[in-house]
Order: sequence, then structure tokens, then C-alpha cells
Amino acid sequence: MVEVKNLSKTFDGHTEVLKNIDLNVKKNDVVAILGPSGTGKSTLLRCLNYLCEPTTGTIRIGDVTVDAAHHTKQEVRNLRRKSAMVFQGYNLFKNKTAKENVMEALVTVQKKSKAEAEETAIRLLDKVGMLDRKDFYPSKMSGGQQQRVGIARALAVNPDVLLFDEPTSALDPELVGEVLNTIRQLAEEDSTMILVTHEIRFARHVANRIIFMDGGVIAADGSPEEIIDNPENPRLRQFLNFVSK
Amino acid sequence: MTLFTWEYFAEVFPLILSKLDVTLTLTVIASFFSLVIGVIFALIGYYKIKGLNLILKVWSSFMRGTPAATQVFFFYYGLANFSSIILNMSPTVAVAVIMSLNMSAFVGESIRGALMSVDNGQREAAMSLGMSGFQMTTRVILPQAVRVALPPLFNDIINLFKMSSLAFLVGVRDVMGIAKIEGANSFKFFECYACVMLIYWVITMCLTYVQKHLEKRFNAIY
Ligand SMILES: Nc1ncnc2c1ncn2[C@@H]1O[C@H](COP(=O)(O)OP(=O)(O)O)[C@@H](O)[C@H]1O
Ligand SMILES: [Mg+2]
Repeated sequence: MVEVKNLSKTFDGHTEVLKNIDLNVKKNDVVAILGPSGTGKSTLLRCLNYLCEPTTGTIRIGDVTVDAAHHTKQEVRNLRRKSAMVFQGYNLFKNKTAKENVMEALVTVQKKSKAEAEETAIRLLDKVGMLDRKDFYPSKMSGGQQQRVGIARALAVNPDVLLFDEPTSALDPELVGEVLNTIRQLAEEDSTMILVTHEIRFARHVANRIIFMDGGVIAADGSPEEIIDNPENPRLRQFLNFVSK
Repeated sequence: MTLFTWEYFAEVFPLILSKLDVTLTLTVIASFFSLVIGVIFALIGYYKIKGLNLILKVWSSFMRGTPAATQVFFFYYGLANFSSIILNMSPTVAVAVIMSLNMSAFVGESIRGALMSVDNGQREAAMSLGMSGFQMTTRVILPQAVRVALPPLFNDIINLFKMSSLAFLVGVRDVMGIAKIEGANSFKFFECYACVMLIYWVITMCLTYVQKHLEKRFNAIY
């Protein structure tokens, strides 16, 4: 479903943030990415979406492949349509209501009719428990509510893979649960997801594969049992000790 | 000679007021063109379009760094030596051109500032959904920027309204121009210019009222 080959990213010509990453994600996989901050987790996710242009490497999602060495705008747009991103800061369109946020890409990118887009939006808002807020603007919603709308917006485009970049990090502690529950529900429905998170217990629970990133490389990769219950990598042990405190 | 004659004031006021259409026409036309040119300037600046961006910066600094009155003279009398189009241009059109060009530099800055104020997350969200640059600009960035740009843009329009009084410099009979002529005939400068002051003040207050009202409406939406 997702195939990353030889992906690297260097900022400003000298800061090498991602170092030759290879990664394959199968359909229905739920992959959690853990790691200390500043190790390139966000950069990796953003590269998958081409919000950040890789320095080298190819990315394939579904039937679209983009090579950093030579790519067209159209290829990039096609790649973006294959995935959907849920942002740490929600990034809901501030000038649109919850429903309009979910409808936006359906109408503009997928050229669906308004009626069809609206039907999808209503169904998805219901799914994330936000139907009663469908006509609210983001400024009138709590962080947890905004993030659930953000998830509905990502689901609307029917992506091959959902990308989550620390979806609960900006939330007040009492609002984290509602968002995690929504994500858990999606995982149980066999969505393909890549999820950057600091919620170790949650990752242990919903992911079937965990990747530990450190210093721009994948330092450990395995099942939740291998990575969290029996960590071998010393840096990983140190990290888990540190976060569980 | 008395200091202030109400009779003369009452007589000259309607005459001066009757030229308000010239003043308002200049304002409306220049507002329209400075807005159109300003949006183009702002987009060039915002997307840092190569080559154009530099030319624009110089042009904008030139327009903002020289007095409008000088620009009118330079254009209408100076450049007329080189261009028969300008030579044959009616003074009203010439003033409208300078007002538009002058204010477009300010409008461009107002709009560019508003565009910059739209946070980057909004762009990223639009791009990540696969929206085109055009869709992103027209459906997400511009609508949000308009709200931020509204107060400074309205100030720009009020400035245009006042700037239109420069038209008298090249002989246009707007509110200011007619007052100058009447004053020179009657020597009752105080009454004539008092009329002008009053008219500008009242209209500016009306515009300010509309501005506050619009701002409130826009801020109430989201
Ligand atoms: N646009 C950028 N320009 C320069 N450096 C960046 C940029 N984005 C991220 N970085 C750097 O890349 C490194 C990895 O960042 P990031 O991917 O956000 O890490 P993580 O998500 O794992 O915390 C950091 O050192 C950060 O400073
Ligand atoms: Mg990050």
C-alpha cells in the first residue's frame, strides 16, 4: 500500500533530518511511529504527503509513485489524493463550518456534487460524533471536537492511508480520550494508518506494528510485543523508560 | 467686510456640493482600479514571483515614497512631453490614473499583510487534500485574508476620497476645484473652504461608520 525507498531529507543543504529511510506498509496495517522529538517523525509524515519535498527517494502510495529526482506537480497532487493528513494543530479551515470542512475536498478535488458531498459529510460527522456541531465554525469548537472534525475531513477523501501527526499533543488532557477513541474505532475498521504519537499505551493497544525512529533513521521496527514489551535497542529502552515516567 | 456671511455660505454650499459627484466618481473609479492592481501586486509579493517581485518592490517604494501631488504633476505635465496619450488625456482621467497607481501600492501592502497573516497550517491542510494552488487561494486564503484586510483597505479608500482633492491641481472642477474658483471670484475664502471641509468631514464620517459596521458583520461570522 505504501512503499518508501531510500528517502532522505536535508534542510538548508546541511541538516540531514531523514537518512535513507526504507519503509513498507501493508494494507490494513496500523503503524505507530515513536521516538524522541526532533528525530524526523513529522518530516517523514510530511514527505509522504509532499508537504515537504524529499531530497532523494521514491514514495509509492497505491498506484501512484513519485520520485524526488524528477516529479511533476500533477504527480504530487495525485500522490496527495492517496493519503490524508490529520494535523497536530487540527488546521481546520477557519472560514468554513464543520460540514463545509469535510465537504471541501470532495467538491473541489473529487468534483463530487454538493448533494453527494453533503451526504458524505453528514455520515462522517456522525461517525466521529460531531453531527450536532455540523454548522459550527472551528472557533466555536473545543480542540477535541476540532480534531474529530479533522479526522472526518481526512476520511472524506477515502484515502489509501491516513497519516496522523501527534493528533492529541495539542489537546488538554481531558480531551485526549475522545480523539483516541475515534482513532481506535478506525483502526478496528481496518483502515491503513501511520500514526506518530507519544501515547505509548495507546500505540501498544491499537497498532499492529511499531517503528522507533531515532536520529533520522528507523532504529527499531516490529510488533508491539517486540518493541514495547521486550525492547532490545538500548536507545529505545532509554526512550521508553523516559516516557513512561 | 464681515467675517462670515451665512447668506453667502448658504448660496455657495449647494454649488460646491453639486460637484461631489466628480469627487465621488474619482474615488470609486480609483478604488476599483487600485483594488484590482493591488490584489495582483499582493499575489506577486505573497508568492514571491521571480523577477516581478523585485520590480514591484521598487515600484511600490517609489509610489509610497513620493507625494501624490508631485506624482500628478510629474505624470500630467512631465510625462506628457513624451506621450501623446497623456498629452491628450483629460485631467480627470489623469488624476484617476495617478490615484489608482498611487493607492495600489498601499492596497497591495494591506492585502499582502493580510495574506501573510493566514497561518501556514491552512495552506498545508489545503495542499494535503490535493487542492490546486488556485483552489487554495480562492477558497481558503483569500476569504480569510479579506477579513484581516478590511480595516486597512477601508482606510485606503478613505485616503483616496481625500486624495481626490488633488484634482484641482490640474484644473478639475471637483468639490475642491470649484471652491477655489468661487473663492477667487468672491474673495470669501473662509466660507468656500468651510463648505469643503464640512463636506469631506461628513462623508469621511459616513465611510467610517460603514467601515465599523462591516467589520462587526465580518467578525460575527466565524
Ligand atoms: N522547515 C524546516 N527547516 C529547517 N529545519 C527543519 C524544518 N522542519 C524541521 N526541521 C528540523 O528537522 C528536525 C526534525 O524535525 P521533525 O520532523 O519535526 O521531528 P519530530 O517530529 O520527530 O519531532 C528538527 O531538528 C527540526 O529542527
Ligand atoms: Mg513532530
